[in-house]
Amino acid sequence: MSQSLRPYLKCVRSSVTAALCLANFASQTSERHNVPEVEAQSSPEVLLNPLVIARNENERVLIEPSVNSVRISIKIKQADEIENILVHKFTRFLTQRAEAFFILRRKPVKGYDISFLITNFHTEEMLKHKLVDFIIQFMEEVDKEISEMKLFLNARARFVAESFLTPFD
Amino acid sequence: MLLLDYQNVLIQSVLTERFSGAPPASIDQTVSDFDGVTFHISTPETKTKIVVSINIRCFKELVQYGAEQVLQREYDQYVIPPEIGYDFSILVDLENLPAEKEERDELIKKISLMKRNAMAAPFEHAYEEYYKLKEAASQYTSEEAPQGVREGGDVMAIHYREEEAIYVKASHDRVTVIFSTVFREETDRIFGKVFIQEFVDARRRAIQNAPQVLFRNDPPLELQGVPGVQTSTSGEVGYVTFVLFPRHLTPQRMPDVISHIQTFRDYFHYHIKASKAYIHSRMRRRTADFLQVLRRARPENEEKERKTASGRTFKVQG
Repeated sequence: MSQSLRPYLKCVRSSVTAALCLANFASQTSERHNVPEVEAQSSPEVLLNPLVIARNENERVLIEPSVNSVRISIKIKQADEIENILVHKFTRFLTQRAEAFFILRRKPVKGYDISFLITNFHTEEMLKHKLVDFIIQFMEEVDKEISEMKLFLNARARFVAESFLTPFD
Repeated sequence: MLLLDYQNVLIQSVLTERFSGAPPASIDQTVSDFDGVTFHISTPETKTKIVVSINIRCFKELVQYGAEQVLQREYDQYVIPPEIGYDFSILVDLENLPAEKEERDELIKKISLMKRNAMAAPFEHAYEEYYKLKEAASQYTSEEAPQGVREGGDVMAIHYREEEAIYVKASHDRVTVIFSTVFREETDRIFGKVFIQEFVDARRRAIQNAPQVLFRNDPPLELQGVPGVQTSTSGEVGYVTFVLFPRHLTPQRMPDVISHIQTFRDYFHYHIKASKAYIHSRMRRRTADFLQVLRRARPENEEKERKTASGRTFKVQG
């Protein structure tokens, strides 16, 4: 793990842990509804201050806490257009399977690549520290995966080009 | 399976089966090949007379560059007037096959290379032109050569797909083959760029004697004034140029080089698709891993005391 990645992840981990302090909270605006307040944005008094943790201009995390839900959005590193397309493909692949992921949001928040929405129902059902583990592991592995795919693509292209040109030799 | 075959495997297998001495049967099969080429294998009259026809989009253009002579040379006694809806036909009589097995295999090979042979015409034409120009250029020094010799022959365009074309041009010291490629999708475009870049670099790095490969988004200078050349909008169209040097242009190497360069587009696209498929399966695997991690967040169901219907419980002994 690189020098700047460790404090970055550590900071995200403690901030997410702090934000995941959720309680059941029925909607104040419509009767018998119980919606994630961070999505509804209907009562400003239950929203907390959003927080951005940035490693550099290309990688950052936005944490938006509220009384009964937390929204975590991640911007994944994209150095060039290959990484850009790979990130796009990968996040689309994940969001299409959002049903299985429970906490994954179908659409990322604007300016970010992927978003998670954790509500009090999730934290009641699942272990909180394991959810944080999941977010952190996701951030670690997604970078690794993208750069591995990029390396694979380059290696394959090189091999393919050389074997096409060899018969001319 | 890395490089593509030059022949059509389906035609090859159908004919191999027929030629092996199996009882004659009636055939009526349409076979597709790359670039929208279709073949029709049939036995219209009797079961022993097999007709193989080919339909190529750009056959008219190929005829201009001498496709008929090339096909006549290759198939000679088998040629018949083309079937309706097709461009070229041959007829093979099973009762009149060559006696030797090797010769029969040779014939099968030749028929399954029909597309290659038809497409080869402009390339062969370019080779001949190159030999002539080389001959002519050897009489002058480079400064005083007449315009025609210095500039080389005309650009031959083969519009073998709806939006893509091959351009072939001979000069006194090289033959230039230009493929225009169109990528509709963003992903393909970027993958294509990565692959092409490696083609361009391969010569510098590993294979010094390979043809020079160049890539650009706007039409190369060779194509100036050629009708129907698309100018690039939003980088969808690209031009891949292969420069064949005299060492590739010897008569001995001609058949192989022509066959090989024809497969470029299919090879290129095939590997882009293969990479996409691999990356897709990789993402699938990675997604399964993530799900596994998330599943760990769910607390396991606590073991409850199990009872039988009569109310007795199990106990671990010891």
